[in-house]
Amino acid sequence: MNINRLLQQREIAIALSIAVVCIVASIAWPSVFPTFGNLSQLFLNISIETIVACGMMILLISGAFDLSVGSVVALSGGIAAYLLYNHGMYPLPAILAGVGAAALIGLINGYLVAYVGINPMIQTLAMMGIVRGAAMMISGSGIQNLHADFTVLGQSRFLGFQSPVWIMMAVVLVLHVLMSKHVLFRQYYYIGSNEQAAILSGIRVKRLKMHSFVLISLLAGIAGVLLAARMGAALGTSGRGMELRVITAAILGGASLLGGTGKVFGALLGTIFMGLVSNVLIIARVSGYWQDIVLGIILIVAVWLDLALKKQSVKSLKKVVGKR
Amino acid sequence: MIAKENSADVLTLEGISKSFPGVQALSDVSLRFHPGAIHAICGENGAGKSTLMKILSGTYRADGGRILLRGKLILIKNPRHAQELGISIVYQERSLANHLTVAENIYVCNQPATRFGFQQTDVLREQAMALLSRLNLPISPEEPVGDLSPGMQQMVEIAKALSHQPDVLILDEPTASITETETRSLFALLERLKQSGVAILYISHRMAEIFEIADVVSVLKDGKLNGTFPIAALTADKLIHHMVGRSLPNRDYEKRDFGRRVLEVRRLSGKGFSDVSLSLRQGEIIGVAGLVGAGRTELACAIFGANPATEGSIAVDGVPLSIMHPADAMRVGIAYLPEERKSQGLFMDMTLEENIVSATLRRLARRGFVKTSAATKATERLMDRLRVKAMGVNQQVGELSGGNQQKIVLAKWLLTNPKVLMVDEPTHGVDVGAKAEIHGLLKSIAKEGCAILLISSELPELLELSDRVLIMRQGILVHEIERQEATEERIMAYAAGNGE
Repeated sequence: MNINRLLQQREIAIALSIAVVCIVASIAWPSVFPTFGNLSQLFLNISIETIVACGMMILLISGAFDLSVGSVVALSGGIAAYLLYNHGMYPLPAILAGVGAAALIGLINGYLVAYVGINPMIQTLAMMGIVRGAAMMISGSGIQNLHADFTVLGQSRFLGFQSPVWIMMAVVLVLHVLMSKHVLFRQYYYIGSNEQAAILSGIRVKRLKMHSFVLISLLAGIAGVLLAARMGAALGTSGRGMELRVITAAILGGASLLGGTGKVFGALLGTIFMGLVSNVLIIARVSGYWQDIVLGIILIVAVWLDLALKKQSVKSLKKVVGKR
Repeated sequence: MIAKENSADVLTLEGISKSFPGVQALSDVSLRFHPGAIHAICGENGAGKSTLMKILSGTYRADGGRILLRGKLILIKNPRHAQELGISIVYQERSLANHLTVAENIYVCNQPATRFGFQQTDVLREQAMALLSRLNLPISPEEPVGDLSPGMQQMVEIAKALSHQPDVLILDEPTASITETETRSLFALLERLKQSGVAILYISHRMAEIFEIADVVSVLKDGKLNGTFPIAALTADKLIHHMVGRSLPNRDYEKRDFGRRVLEVRRLSGKGFSDVSLSLRQGEIIGVAGLVGAGRTELACAIFGANPATEGSIAVDGVPLSIMHPADAMRVGIAYLPEERKSQGLFMDMTLEENIVSATLRRLARRGFVKTSAATKATERLMDRLRVKAMGVNQQVGELSGGNQQKIVLAKWLLTNPKVLMVDEPTHGVDVGAKAEIHGLLKSIAKEGCAILLISSELPELLELSDRVLIMRQGILVHEIERQEATEERIMAYAAGNGE
């Protein structure tokens, strides 16, 4: 019963899975896997998606999601690179323009979902297409040879980790603390748990919903600029498929499409686990196509397990109540 | 002897009982229904009408008693089985698919199809056309149901029920959402069905209708049958007396002095109610009586800003306010305990503490960050005061009993220190012990100076707590009774539209 309860905290289940994979991989490839270089690379690989996954976690907690984030990543990076390369702008205003455009997309999504009442799936699906088109127009087949003043943002190193990793850590930490302690952010749990009751508790649901869409777009904007800086180039196709990967990570890390559950830290666990799986598969020289198949299976198994455990604990609860 | 009498009945209930944890919903109810007769069943809210109906539809299984159909013992397994046996039910809530046509809705579970399962549109249309013309209904079978008026939708529901050619047709408050003219054509239809030999069970608490259409009336009260009467033997007063049955005088009520006027509502109109004026003083409890659908909840939601009023004014402590959102109402000290505990009051998978502090998050925070210790202390204090039986502040609220859940919602609003507390059916679905505790609590917070607006469909509750009772009917405030003069019969008479 106790172990059952513990495993129901999906964060704990995923943390255990991470530990198991690490131990097995360390035994199997002692000279390749458990090295600082590999660890640093793994974190760098997941850093940009994790920044977006944190925002997705907040949205999922409130009972919504955003499919346009992958396109927004390409757009903000594209705008920043375009201004840098074609107009010789300084890095800071170019970055602000890219991130600002992203926030504007979020504002439009948020307004239409929260105040007009368009279903978030439809709204962000449409926006995904629109923004991708715009990003392709701006970046074309790619804007390269970006100035070193800009790329330093994504390529400098501190204590062995590259800067996107540090930015990711900061984002996870700040948002995790806010979501667990700050009243403004705590309200998302109430909205996701019971929107009607939240309204009747005086929570300004519409406004908060709009904010959450702005926040995730802002994070996607930052991620896009970081990605361009790290690669030294902006591509119209970057971030493609990222929306579904970050939703997968958030769900593995404890979110539910029904809302109300999850922790920001769980999003990081989710991306670490996914990064780990691809890392191990690469080390094992398994074809890249297998990654998607394996992750798909893991997602189903995780949610299935969750449902089974919940059913079991309802049963045992009924027994306890019956005895009383 | 019984067998002989039964032969004339199409449906016989003998000693039906049903209990739920903490409630005896029906006890020893025996009824006989004759073909070609309209048999009205009436009673207060919670008298057991809907439980009876759910037993006949096979949704619930009776704990005791027998059901006989044409003298033969039957066991109704589920709603589908009830239909096959010849018992059809038209529920108060519509169950139509708005985007599909009339014909598709009528034959939803027995659509004519080819051997390979493809819909036979022509046959479907012809069948529907035949049925509709037999019922004399001017509806095209190809029209989407969503385009019809509510009254016509009701007719489609009845046509759907009749497509199974039932011997018994049960109608639950069929006129609740249709207009007067539509009611006329409904009654004409029922009259024709009666001629054709269908036994009709008509559940309603509208006096005028019962006297117009019913042949026989059975009265349920607190789950027991309070008598079956031929309509000719009844008057409206007598019927109300049978329904309410207790005309106890108000015993130990002493009039108290109230403080200053806190809430002043002037000529308020909105969805579901119009032109309502009322005022509420410190320490006063005002009861709002009325039948389901009288506009009481809508009024409270408008004062609370959940469904803003379209006209009129609301003032708190003499200051007129524009209340467009519950947050606006809460800022001036108005609280509202909603009618539906699970869907509107609670965050079921969150903890007791998270639930209790949900309306006071900001007040319990410093610089925006939740002070966990303060929140826990407040939660524990309230759980103590309300005697909530739980394992601790971190238990999930969904694991508590109904009474304790209701105390949690109440605790949440008490934590806001309201000046005006509106409670909507505060003891609905709550066991007897918790009910008494909630009543005691409401009295004590009134004594501390909180003004309370009590919406309740339980007359004894209204009489126990209120200093004044307002009665609403069809969205309008029809009468106000001082506590000393209030009896259940008088309230019911006004609520049902039979006041002097």
